[in-house]
Amino acid sequence: MKYALYLGCTIQTEQYGCEISARETLPRLGVELVDMVGTSCCGFPAFSSLSTLGWWYLSARNIAIAEGQGLDMLALCNGCYESLVQTKHNLDEDSNLKAFINDKLSKEGLEYKGDSKIVHPISLLHDIIGVESIGEKVKKPLEGLKLASHPGCHAIRPSLLGMPDKAEHPEKLDTLLKALGAGTMDYPEKTDCCGSMLASTAASTTLTITAEKLKAVEGYGFDGLVTTCPFCFQMFDGRQEEINDMIDFLLDTDSDEVELPVFYYTQLLGLAMGLKPDRLGLQLNMSPVDRILDKIEEGPNR
Amino acid sequence: MTGKTEDREVEFISLMLQRAVSEMAAEVCEQCGKCASGCPVSRHMEDFNPRRIIAKVALGRIEELLKSEEIWTCTSCMKCKERCPENISPYDVILVLRNMAVRAGLPHPESYDQTIEAVVDNGVTQEPLTVRTRTGERHDRSSLSLNPIDKPQDMEEFKEVLLSIVEAGKPR
Amino acid sequence: MNSVMVIGGGISGIQASLDLADRGIKVYLVERSTSIGGTMAQLDKTFPTLDCSICILGPKMVEVDQNPNIELLTYSEVTKVDGAAGNFRVTVHRKPRYVGESCNGCGECAKTCPIEVPNEYDEGLGTRKAIYVPFPQAIPLRYTIDRDVCVECYRCVEACTGQGNDAIDFNMTAEDVELNVSAIIVATGMDRYIPWNLGEYGYFQYPNVLDALEFERLICASGPTGGNLVRPFDGKPAHKIVFVQCVGSRSQRLGVPYCSSVCCMYATKEAILVREHDPDSEVTIFYIDLKVFGQGFQDFVDRARDQWGVEYIRGRPGEVREHPYTGDLTVWYEDTDTGIVSKKEADLVVLCTAMIARPGNTKLAEILGVELDEYKFFKVKDPLSSPVETNVPGIYVCGCCHGPRDIPESVAEASGTAAMAAGLIEVTSKEDR
Repeated sequence: MKYALYLGCTIQTEQYGCEISARETLPRLGVELVDMVGTSCCGFPAFSSLSTLGWWYLSARNIAIAEGQGLDMLALCNGCYESLVQTKHNLDEDSNLKAFINDKLSKEGLEYKGDSKIVHPISLLHDIIGVESIGEKVKKPLEGLKLASHPGCHAIRPSLLGMPDKAEHPEKLDTLLKALGAGTMDYPEKTDCCGSMLASTAASTTLTITAEKLKAVEGYGFDGLVTTCPFCFQMFDGRQEEINDMIDFLLDTDSDEVELPVFYYTQLLGLAMGLKPDRLGLQLNMSPVDRILDKIEEGPNR
Repeated sequence: MTGKTEDREVEFISLMLQRAVSEMAAEVCEQCGKCASGCPVSRHMEDFNPRRIIAKVALGRIEELLKSEEIWTCTSCMKCKERCPENISPYDVILVLRNMAVRAGLPHPESYDQTIEAVVDNGVTQEPLTVRTRTGERHDRSSLSLNPIDKPQDMEEFKEVLLSIVEAGKPR
Repeated sequence: MNSVMVIGGGISGIQASLDLADRGIKVYLVERSTSIGGTMAQLDKTFPTLDCSICILGPKMVEVDQNPNIELLTYSEVTKVDGAAGNFRVTVHRKPRYVGESCNGCGECAKTCPIEVPNEYDEGLGTRKAIYVPFPQAIPLRYTIDRDVCVECYRCVEACTGQGNDAIDFNMTAEDVELNVSAIIVATGMDRYIPWNLGEYGYFQYPNVLDALEFERLICASGPTGGNLVRPFDGKPAHKIVFVQCVGSRSQRLGVPYCSSVCCMYATKEAILVREHDPDSEVTIFYIDLKVFGQGFQDFVDRARDQWGVEYIRGRPGEVREHPYTGDLTVWYEDTDTGIVSKKEADLVVLCTAMIARPGNTKLAEILGVELDEYKFFKVKDPLSSPVETNVPGIYVCGCCHGPRDIPESVAEASGTAAMAAGLIEVTSKEDR
């Protein structure tokens, strides 16, 4: 299992925990992560809104780089993943478009052929590595913890592109949590958006959407929320404090503050493997994760 | 590939709009409201409604949409695209409208322009940030033992090509 | 000779058979399941008159049983057809019931049977034994053993002998019968769309989400709860009911593109029944258009809205969600008249699913040489000038086997096919002389 690791902008410039925990855990499951050289932004969402061709160009050039390495791509960010898959679909279907884009790519010495597959971390972990192999590496099962899965919009929609999981009642991230020994449960808001794409245009609505989901998850008695997407993580984890500062306004009623630990799946994977929190970028999580870390540290015989 | 970039760009955009109007919207939308029912933004903002956007497109009220703030408040969750019984994607229609608005020189959120500028100049949307930990320490990539970020190798060429695409079809 | 075969023992097949028999024409009524009756036997009331369904159907079923001109071949299927109009040679495969004709329907066998499985009549909401009749008014009133689940304990044999009978015969075998008929009437009825690709409604995940026929069994006095409206999730009373129209219908992508014709009316009917049963109930119907094209239909809906307080909201719901602990359902919808998106709490959500062609149509059409349309319904020769004939002379169709329609239309068509078949017999018997 060897992949060109495509990180995209958010992970490289901000969400370091995602990169750290992925690089720490995936090789231990037999995945070789090969760095790419010369990548750029995938184009989502600014270029998709303002220059569609520019968007396809940006995504195509990154795929072309991976193809040049002779590798499939592992895209850790949901936004990048959807961008790449959509672009690949468009170029594979429309030879005119492909020719146009390749004409541009040739100026950078690149060519899009359509050989490389785009893989999402949920597919990699669930379908390719498999829960059995993951289970074998678990030293500190996350017993007694009930965790909510948030696959994120672009890991499940649009299903016609063939996403890692089902658009309605997706289960793979839940199965992956159970593989770590954690408990989980289906909940109504699972497929709801985190709201991040609205952040620049409708700031308070964005936070309302995020706040509602956090409140709901907390309300069901979950110990934490788990995702693989850096955009979603940024909203749920990074902006939880900001949400709490104006939670009455956002939810339009007197509300207690939200205190929900939020993790990247790869961080929990690392903890279950027995790795120390600092190796997984957990010091960078802004949500109240310490109580969970203590529980996991104590182990199953607490 | 023949034809100036500008012409091809305009051709593609026109084609997308044509499809949006004829295939997606005008032909089959029954205005059933399933798209709006699932939309996270419609729940909170009365001004945003994917069903109404499709209705306006079908009725030819494009200019109204291009000038509106409405088309900029979609959160790209794609629930509408996923669930429409008639294969219409309000999300894709909205993206086309956004592209058209820019080409028509109409006002749009600044943040998108800033992002585009950043990518054109640097290959990424921002330079790596220094982040906080829960205990108040500050870290950057190197203090976390991460390599510097990856960027396009020939920035000049990258910038030229990207700009040529982005600028094509825009009003002078 | 001078006989007609009717394939399908629902209301259409029953009506056609009675019309022909009353004229002195011999009818072979072939029915795939263990009893005639079809879908109408599962309904509580019919629209728009709110007549009790089985009260109308039952006497007709009894008439079929007692009419000397009708030979009932239940638990049987047509496997081969040769010949042409005036002289079809049909092979009918009769499946073994393992219970003989001396069965008097006393039911002692079922009482002792240890195997209980979900029953087809209640759409899986109720149960039956391995030895069973599908419902009390079954015709013929003769038990059948489902060998797929039977464990061969033979308690039923003992019980039967104890009653002075020995109707049960585990050694029964299938039988193939060859019949000569002048005409064939196809009345095989409809099937329902299972919303497998509409996960947003939670049909498979949430016990309180039902389809319309399941709901009909729930509210029917002969159903698994005696007509008490309860939530499958916890058995608590269901007061807030939501109906979702056009589930699978009118969709290019998620089902079939056509309208299923009867759902607006049966949803209104079921809504009125709920309001009748329970004055505290709150009923909402989410629709796109109200298809009320028949006689008395608009009046029916107006009464539901004005007199019975049924709420009608124009808007196709986007999603149904269940609270994991309480089982309470939330339906997110947009009221397209106001443009406001909101949610409605419900105890039960009833999905009015599309009416689709039976999967068996394909095989039967091949056997008969009859064409199917693009939706696998039987195709009529011409919808305007020959609406009950097919491309094969002497083979006629009536009822839902050639498209969605309601009971009055099906009955009218049944009489139409009976008349045509009778006409054919008159012509061919003149030719014979």
